[in-house]
Amino acid sequence: MEVNQAKQEHLLALKVMRLTKPTLFTNMPVTCEDRDLPGDLFGRLMKEDPSTIKGAEALMLGEMLTLPQNFGNIFLGETFSSYISVHNDSTQEVKDILVKADLQTSSQRLNLSASNNAVTELKPESCIDDVIHHEVKEIGTHILVCAVSYTTQAGEKLYFRKFFKFQVLKPLDVKTKFYNAETDEVFLEAQIQNITTSPMFMEKVSLEPSMMYNVTELNTVETGDEGTSTFGKMSYLQPMDTRQYLYCLKPKSEFAEKAGVIKGVTVIGKLDIVWKTNLGEKGRLQTSQLQRMAPGYGDVRLSLEMIPDTVNLEEPFDITCKITNCSERTMDLVLEMCNTRSIHWCGVSGRQLGKVSPSASLSLPLKLLSSVQGLQSISGLRLTDTFLKRTYEYDDIAQVCVVCPYMSRES
Amino acid sequence: MDNNETPAQRPVTLDITGAVEVKPSLSAAVIPPEPSLLPSSDVHFQEESIDLGGESFITPEEDSHSMPSESLMDKLNDQMMESVMISDSPNNSEEDDVVPMDNLLEQFEEREEEQAAAVVKETLVAEEKKEVVEEKVDDLIGQDTTEIKIEAVMMQTSPVASSPEEPLENVKQKLTTDDQDVITVSISAVTPEDSTPSSGSPKPEAAALETSSKGTTSKDESIPVCTIFSQGSQPKVQALVPDGFQPTLIKSPSFSSGTGGSTEITPSQLAPLVCQPSPSLSKFFSDSGHVNPATDFFDSFTTSSFISISNPNAESPKSAAPTERQLSASSGSSLPLQQAPVEPALATAPPQPFTQLQAVFSGGDDPFATALNMSEADKRYDAWLPSEETRKVLISMAMQQYSQVFVERERLAMPGLKFDNLQGDAVKDLMVRLMGEQAAMKRQVLTANSVEQSFLGLKQLISTKNWRAAVDLTGRLLTAHGQGYGKAGQPSSHNTDSLQLWFVRLALLTKLSLFQNAEMELEPFGNLDQPDLYYEYYPTVYPGRRGSMVPFSMRVLHAELPQYLGKPQESLDRLHSMRTVCQTILDNLEQGLAEDGSMINLTQENRQASLQLWKSRLSRVLYAVANCLLMMKDYVLAVETYHSIIQYEPQQKVQLLSGIGRIFLQIGDIKTAEKYFLDVEKATLEKGSGTTDTCVLMNRAFIYLSQNNYSDAHSSFAEVLKIDPKNPVANNNAAVCLLYLGRLKESLRQLEGLVQQDPALYLHESVLFNLTTMYELESSRSTQKKQALLESVACREGDSFNTQCLKLV
Repeated sequence: MEVNQAKQEHLLALKVMRLTKPTLFTNMPVTCEDRDLPGDLFGRLMKEDPSTIKGAEALMLGEMLTLPQNFGNIFLGETFSSYISVHNDSTQEVKDILVKADLQTSSQRLNLSASNNAVTELKPESCIDDVIHHEVKEIGTHILVCAVSYTTQAGEKLYFRKFFKFQVLKPLDVKTKFYNAETDEVFLEAQIQNITTSPMFMEKVSLEPSMMYNVTELNTVETGDEGTSTFGKMSYLQPMDTRQYLYCLKPKSEFAEKAGVIKGVTVIGKLDIVWKTNLGEKGRLQTSQLQRMAPGYGDVRLSLEMIPDTVNLEEPFDITCKITNCSERTMDLVLEMCNTRSIHWCGVSGRQLGKVSPSASLSLPLKLLSSVQGLQSISGLRLTDTFLKRTYEYDDIAQVCVVCPYMSRES
Repeated sequence: MDNNETPAQRPVTLDITGAVEVKPSLSAAVIPPEPSLLPSSDVHFQEESIDLGGESFITPEEDSHSMPSESLMDKLNDQMMESVMISDSPNNSEEDDVVPMDNLLEQFEEREEEQAAAVVKETLVAEEKKEVVEEKVDDLIGQDTTEIKIEAVMMQTSPVASSPEEPLENVKQKLTTDDQDVITVSISAVTPEDSTPSSGSPKPEAAALETSSKGTTSKDESIPVCTIFSQGSQPKVQALVPDGFQPTLIKSPSFSSGTGGSTEITPSQLAPLVCQPSPSLSKFFSDSGHVNPATDFFDSFTTSSFISISNPNAESPKSAAPTERQLSASSGSSLPLQQAPVEPALATAPPQPFTQLQAVFSGGDDPFATALNMSEADKRYDAWLPSEETRKVLISMAMQQYSQVFVERERLAMPGLKFDNLQGDAVKDLMVRLMGEQAAMKRQVLTANSVEQSFLGLKQLISTKNWRAAVDLTGRLLTAHGQGYGKAGQPSSHNTDSLQLWFVRLALLTKLSLFQNAEMELEPFGNLDQPDLYYEYYPTVYPGRRGSMVPFSMRVLHAELPQYLGKPQESLDRLHSMRTVCQTILDNLEQGLAEDGSMINLTQENRQASLQLWKSRLSRVLYAVANCLLMMKDYVLAVETYHSIIQYEPQQKVQLLSGIGRIFLQIGDIKTAEKYFLDVEKATLEKGSGTTDTCVLMNRAFIYLSQNNYSDAHSSFAEVLKIDPKNPVANNNAAVCLLYLGRLKESLRQLEGLVQQDPALYLHESVLFNLTTMYELESSRSTQKKQALLESVACREGDSFNTQCLKLV
């Protein structure tokens, strides 16, 4: 008896279909001219074909929607939608039907059914429909578990399940690079690669900065009132294409003042990416917090407040340095200036700068001249802390372009 | 259910790889050993690769079996993936999930068996297990049992997933050794504010279900069968799949002895457009030397001054061009008379001496000779610019009328059928298979034998959508012309009709998606520029006539074909050279010259007519270019090209702008699509049709659709139907929307009703595909319903019907 029951056909049938977006039917135009053998035949056939665009039959992309042909690929951040239909295949009425759809991932199990109430009765040839949606948040194997329980007219309680397995793939490859500017600004370059097999429209790629920074997006070129995207007219990514986004992060003034705060590993923010594919199929991902190792400045930080970009050969020019004490103790500093092959410092070397307390800074105007043309690197500053007898060397502080004034006048 | 706690703790971000992993090299490299400001040119930067995947990290390369992108067909199918039903028992998962797409076609039948086997196996396992595990299963109902299974499944898949990852890991390490520092960061899905429905907290009912199911679990773990997904494995673009009717390359012996069975001579033989059935052809050709009864054979279907020539190939394959001209020269003089009613200019066709005279001039610019012999329309339609090399040959043909012009064999077009007897009727075959011979007897379609062996019969076959039969008929007619099976590579002469036959044949092969066959047969034609494809090559047969014998539409076809065979670049090359010719001809016309750039005076009407013709031809080429670009997914250029057509076809502006909008929707760029749709609205307003155009409503519906707003999309399609109740697109699309709204029965009822009421409009493969998909979703008895569809197809559709959309195989 029991064996028979195990083999018994169920009165209900469960069908599941993934609802990706429908696609537009494309037709294949084959045309001829009136003088050709078929005359107007081909033209008439194309006009009669309901899938062609009337009046422009040679246009390939039609308007007819076709249902998804297959399961397709599903990517992290997209929404998995599925039609669940339970149909009464039998000739008898069935009672107390409960349909339950769960999604099992490697880490959790979610209930996706819209309703968890049992349907009291289901007549022959009728069905229970449900459309489930779930935004996919994990990569790897997912299993949709559909369970149906019901009671036959004989009062027998029956139950069956079905499993549908699918893989969630990674849609994007994101790489980031940080560039530290001479100022406190940080530039973030994000390379985003489409590793799916269909074109992707990037609706939004933005950087949500952490509390310490303000962000400027550098992905548009200002022309008049409206900015045009640096990526041109089409904002879509072909499969395997990579696009670079650039952001400039400026520390908020309250943090910028205290140089000591931005030290070591800091959280910069996270990228928020929204894309769309066929007929508006949407996906969204965020990166985890991007972290950057702030350039270490040691005990004493020397930054530039002012420097000309171009100077004349053998003419003195001014720069202004800012010296910040990043250590926890007061320093007594002595400035030494060592000439290099091309850069000559004007003024007295071995100058006392006085005491600098922790986190304090002082501005230091300096004069120098270059004896060599071209792009010259400014090097040769030495700061010595007389308390600890420690010397800090500063080379390659900045670069200036040295030109010959006579040449430039001629040109 | 306990697992739901995990997401609750970190609802916003879910780290997949776990903690952020910073490679040890990082700290050393990034912190400069001494304090120094980094010059911007020498910035140390960190490169971070953000890794979304954990163990199951899948690179596109690895996954290529399920989504290869090499061939065009796969490109078109790239949305597809084989989905697999998994069963209750772990050992039943097989390797279903790694079935490569490429092999799908071959494996299709195999897999059916496999699945059946799997099911059998499953039941066995289930039974075995029951006895052993019965009590345990009772304890571990619901999720627990499943979880065990998942582990098993994952264990099986993990070697597949992890092994290709290794090289990738190496690459990553390589990157680290460079002075860039690589940090692996995890990426995770976000829960946006509007979050997903049912992020599921444990429901009390669930527990109830579990208790109620407790008792039944062990007995009722029956065979799960999922047909929807596995059946969906048929490639979307059926167009690209030879649908089981691959013609064989075997020459049928019956063919050489004439077209068996159709020996009766039709009484309508005397009608102007009729040719005699093939058996009598041998008679024609055997004595074609002295008289010219062959002229009766190929009759003209155009209004052009058309002259048939007997084919030298039928008798003496060796006969070179000069001999042939000698032969037909005698007939040539009398032939034009036949065309008298159509071509007054030809009615006064001169006797032989004059023929010779004009032939001398035909290569030059003698307006007298030309005017005398070429109708303006012919000139307009046949104009083409041969390549320099071909032009030289053609000029020398004209100048050296009486001495032998030697043209290398390789430079001639020597086509021949590459296969014959394509005959077959997929609908009938399917009926025999599913419903038996008896039912299949009802299926009656025209075949090549059941119509007149003439252009009339050919047209009849085409208009009744019996394209396979029509292809057969073109084969017979071409065989009669000496370009039959196996004749490729043998010299034969061309005429207007033979090339038209080739065009029709190739067009039908393309329509039938038999691209390979079309390509094979087009191959001897090369780039359609051989000298013997021009009228000038036959000065005695077509005295004074100039231009291309190859119809323009055949050139378009020839150019479009490679894109269907995965060679879109070749298509683009061909199309662009066609475009150049069209543009040059238009420039010539605008500069007051004739089409080919010669100094012939055209009347104003003729110039206007010619300009119009060549503009429409140019726009046809542009359409082909744009379509090809669209297939290549080069959307930027495709949109640009479609846009450029508007200047030539201003009356198609609305359709073109809507089409461009739909391209943007396909990409996912809804904002730009809306802009184009707005332009469409403006354009329709300019037209001033008063009422809202269906086109505008349709576009609106597509926008709603892209916003996931299926109910508004549905009502927009319904509005279209109020204006135009018979609109098949709106009807179909409205039904599709209903399905997405969870109203399967309604959707089915609507589509079914349409197909029954108006089969002429709705027995279309896209509609039928939708309908059969819904049948499969609705019930386990979809096969019967599909068979009913097959029957209605059988009474209406010709042999060219693509049965794949019925998903009965």
